[in-house]
Amino acid sequence: MIKVTIDGRDVELEHPVTVLEAARKAGIEIPTLCYFEGLSPFGGCRLCLVEVEKLPKLQTSCTLMTADGMVVRTETEQIRAARRSMLEFLLINHPLDCPYCDKAGECELQDLVARYGPEAGRFAEGKRRHPESFDDPIIVRNMERCVLCTRCIRMCSELQASYSISVTGRGSHSFVEPFSGGRYDCEYCGNCLTVCPVGAIMSRLHRHSYRPWFVEKETETVCGFCGVGCSMVLQMRENSIIRAIPRRGVGFNEGLLCARGRFGYEYVEGGEELTTPLMRVDGELRQVSWEEALSFTARRLGEIRDEFGGGAVGAVASGRCTNEDNYMLQKLMRFVIGSNNIDSAARNYYAPAQIYLERIFGQGITANLIPGIANSDGVFVAGGDPTAINPILGLKIRAVWRSGGRVVVLGVPGGLKRFVPYELIPVPYSEEIVLSAIVGRLLERKPPGGANAALEAKLRDLRIPSDDELGSTGVSPEDVARVSEDLSSMSTPVVVIGPDMVQRRRASKSLFLLGAIAYLTNARIFLLADRPNYQGLLDMGCLPELLPGGRPVELEMFRHKAEEALGMKVPEQRGLNLFEMIDGAESGRLKALYVMGENPVFNLPDGVRVEKALGSLDLLVVQDVHLTETARLADVVLPATAWPEKEGTYTNLERRLQRVRKARRGKMASYGREDWRILADIAGRLGMTKTYQRVEDVWEEVMHVSALHTGLGYEEMDGGRALWPYYGEPLRGMEGDFTVEGLDGLPEVPAPERPYLMIERPLYHSGTFSRRSKALLAIQPGPYLKMNPELARRHGLTGGDKARISNGRGVLELEVRLDDDMPDNQVHVANTFEGFAAMRLAGFGTDPVTGALYMDDNTVRVEKVLR
Amino acid sequence: MTLKDVIRKVFLVEIVKGMALTFSRLFTRPVTRRYPKEKRPAEPGFRGLHALVRNPATGDAKCVGCGLCAAVCPSRCINVYTSEGPEHQKVVDGYEIEVLRCVFCALCVEACPYGAIALTPHYEYADYSREALFMTKERLLDNWDRYMGEEGLRYFDSFWNPKEAHFKPPRGQAMFKGRIIGGFSG
Ligand code: SF4
Ligand code: SF4
Ligand code: SF4
Ligand code: SF4
Ligand code: SF4
Ligand code: FES
Repeated sequence: MIKVTIDGRDVELEHPVTVLEAARKAGIEIPTLCYFEGLSPFGGCRLCLVEVEKLPKLQTSCTLMTADGMVVRTETEQIRAARRSMLEFLLINHPLDCPYCDKAGECELQDLVARYGPEAGRFAEGKRRHPESFDDPIIVRNMERCVLCTRCIRMCSELQASYSISVTGRGSHSFVEPFSGGRYDCEYCGNCLTVCPVGAIMSRLHRHSYRPWFVEKETETVCGFCGVGCSMVLQMRENSIIRAIPRRGVGFNEGLLCARGRFGYEYVEGGEELTTPLMRVDGELRQVSWEEALSFTARRLGEIRDEFGGGAVGAVASGRCTNEDNYMLQKLMRFVIGSNNIDSAARNYYAPAQIYLERIFGQGITANLIPGIANSDGVFVAGGDPTAINPILGLKIRAVWRSGGRVVVLGVPGGLKRFVPYELIPVPYSEEIVLSAIVGRLLERKPPGGANAALEAKLRDLRIPSDDELGSTGVSPEDVARVSEDLSSMSTPVVVIGPDMVQRRRASKSLFLLGAIAYLTNARIFLLADRPNYQGLLDMGCLPELLPGGRPVELEMFRHKAEEALGMKVPEQRGLNLFEMIDGAESGRLKALYVMGENPVFNLPDGVRVEKALGSLDLLVVQDVHLTETARLADVVLPATAWPEKEGTYTNLERRLQRVRKARRGKMASYGREDWRILADIAGRLGMTKTYQRVEDVWEEVMHVSALHTGLGYEEMDGGRALWPYYGEPLRGMEGDFTVEGLDGLPEVPAPERPYLMIERPLYHSGTFSRRSKALLAIQPGPYLKMNPELARRHGLTGGDKARISNGRGVLELEVRLDDDMPDNQVHVANTFEGFAAMRLAGFGTDPVTGALYMDDNTVRVEKVLR
Repeated sequence: MTLKDVIRKVFLVEIVKGMALTFSRLFTRPVTRRYPKEKRPAEPGFRGLHALVRNPATGDAKCVGCGLCAAVCPSRCINVYTSEGPEHQKVVDGYEIEVLRCVFCALCVEACPYGAIALTPHYEYADYSREALFMTKERLLDNWDRYMGEEGLRYFDSFWNPKEAHFKPPRGQAMFKGRIIGGFSG
């Protein structure tokens, strides 16, 4: 126990902390400028000076550790004079820009000068000049205002671990600059501008258009871009979002956001939002009234149900919509129309992987805490770049590295490149051989403990590749030995599984092997999710085989429970999944499709085929914010409200339930209606008697129907502390009920002549919304074809050239971007820009065990486009 | 009642006194004014209708859009709208005052670092519609030309002492890059 006296107050401390922290704990405020909670102490600004008895000089409290018996004074005349001098020095070169500077009002320097500062400076010799830099599309630097606190630099290297900026120059010509000079060549997280205490680094999005006191309302909500679910505060002025900012102490992201979350919100007021319902009249979409659109939709759905049965109707739910929206769509389908044909784009990889892992280990196996990753001593990543798919989760992996842990990545490490001690890049689609070898080594080191008998039984059948057999994968036996050594030396490891490990032939085997690695090393599993509410889709029953709460619809017991709870009937057979629905539309078995917040033409493979299938439906209803590629084919388009315009909940990839809150209201918000309201209206017209006034009514029903959400009301969710299962019934244990394809064999490693087409999941774009965000477009304006320089050379291409890639399914023409980190047997294209969807060239093959899409067949021909 | 009181009552002494005063005033100049025929000039510092000071050098408002007036206004009747101009400068797109909500405290005038908002001597602005008393930037600049102008500026400066008039930054200072306030050479 350490006892210190600060300003006459006795403070008792368990552990030695800095004097500043001790004072803050005792409620004594010491002014600071370079200190920032969560960053390492720097001791550069000398505003936190304090007097310590028996020490001759003033001490910086942010770096001085407490010692027993210390007597500290924080506000004496001497200290005030010192602070005044420090500020006078800072102001020597500081411009008097306040009326013009966007920071004014929340500027720490301003506040400090108002409190301690000199009224007038004595330095008359003129100030340094340094032009404001507009080289960057998103961030503006005004280095005349910089006080060299280095908070931005510490943020960039310690928490973001991007190491992009540094102090350049000497003396009064020291400025913070990106290493690349000019434009930032970084990850555009914007976290540096959160910490800059002055107006030296600021966002260009809202430049000169606000003052902090113009903020009329702040709404705490959850980011709508990925499955991490970062908390953020939307600052509003008259129905316009001024800024999206993170806040320490709000949410588990602890004051950090990524580029999409911070800068991507603009799509909601881009001006392209749908304003009225549209209906196809004489082959053209025409504006109609809500009443007309809704009654037509309900009438047609009813007619198709009566004529062909419920099974002729299908629905696509959305990972961008809230739990309430998805629940209501599910209810409309199953209970009102009587069809289990409901699925979503989570079918591409997330849902099959999650369900399969739960079959091995039981429900909730991936329900692990994201902040907890940082406490691990090792991470194994396979199947995707977490720093791009789920950026804030990626930061935690970097934090493991910073604290001395090991990071092992199977595949191209991407944003983790600087954090891996060695690269482990097998030939595409040979990963399962490498994984089998790793599992083999792990089994040699330590026999399994017997906790999961079914898994261990399957492990005994596993064919472990010999060193020779490993040869074809491009990974050496030494590498495998090294990985398994690293893995077994970890005591609290984490296994991160990305989409690429699922979208392949024999996905069950890859998932099983990753599960086995987690099992043998006692690791926690994380499954990356590139949409904010993939998990919610599973929990709300937006799968052909699962009811709300993740209960199989084919088990009578669960079906009866749901029927009793709602007083309505559900069909007994599982429904069609997303791909089967497209098949059904093609063959004429499916007559009507209701698409909510999804863009199948764009996000499903073989867009040409999907387009044709959707075109042959009797009724296609699309409910979305914008007129997407799919909406253009629809018979009825219903405008829905976007993410900041509705209330509801998202379930993130760790199964944390968080509130999404309405920030925009009134006449200037979009003209759409909340998704669940539109659906409830249609369900009412089709015979549902229950009515809902508010979104809470929908959630109450969810709590009643889903065992996972029992007792988990909105109040419990506040503060982001609600992780299911809460007061719910015990989890469905399904361990052991799984099959693994090809356990006792090893696949041939294909060596195609043409490169593989892989889907890139870029940091700045994620699809239909991001491509309507001006800021994200400014960072990355368009699509590109990423390839290795060697591969490019072989095709006579260099960076900036236009290349054509094609296969039997389509052609894309894209600009070439060279990347040394890529292997020379693949090209990467993102699936984000209209007209450049990589998925258009992908095939429709699905894995028989998991039902996930596989991409193995997607090789493309690359040619130079001559101009 | 004493005898004295009785005598005063009987001879109407009070009334005679009063009438004498009335009579005497018939020959002096009246102190009241025959408003609206005769108008009283406003004293310096009078807080009448609002105006935005026009910068003679640029012809536009002096206002830089710092929003301090809006921040200080106790009745929250000022709205300032700004944006980034083509040369990255701050542009004042809109400046609104809801005169009907204003309490004429003149805190905005005191807060403005550039002497850019003024309360003019003009006080005859009663009207039948609310719209007529909703001031936009154009109307506020128009008010300046109408009710202040050259003459008024002297009056305004002598009373309000805008800080800007006394504020001389050292040479070479990075002050608004010389773009925002015309005629400010330092
Ligand atoms: S950084 Fe702060 S002190 Fe400097 S000009 Fe901006 S508001 Fe004023
Ligand atoms: S740019 Fe801002 S955060 Fe970075 S050193 Fe300068 S004042 Fe500090
Ligand atoms: S990590 Fe995901 S949830 Fe967090 S800010 Fe980025 S996109 Fe949004
Ligand atoms: S005079 Fe007072 S109430 Fe009127 S606009 Fe100015 S600050 Fe507001
Ligand atoms: S205080 Fe002056 S300069 Fe600032 S916005 Fe108001 S009128 Fe314009
Ligand atoms: S806060 Fe302690 S020296 Fe800057």
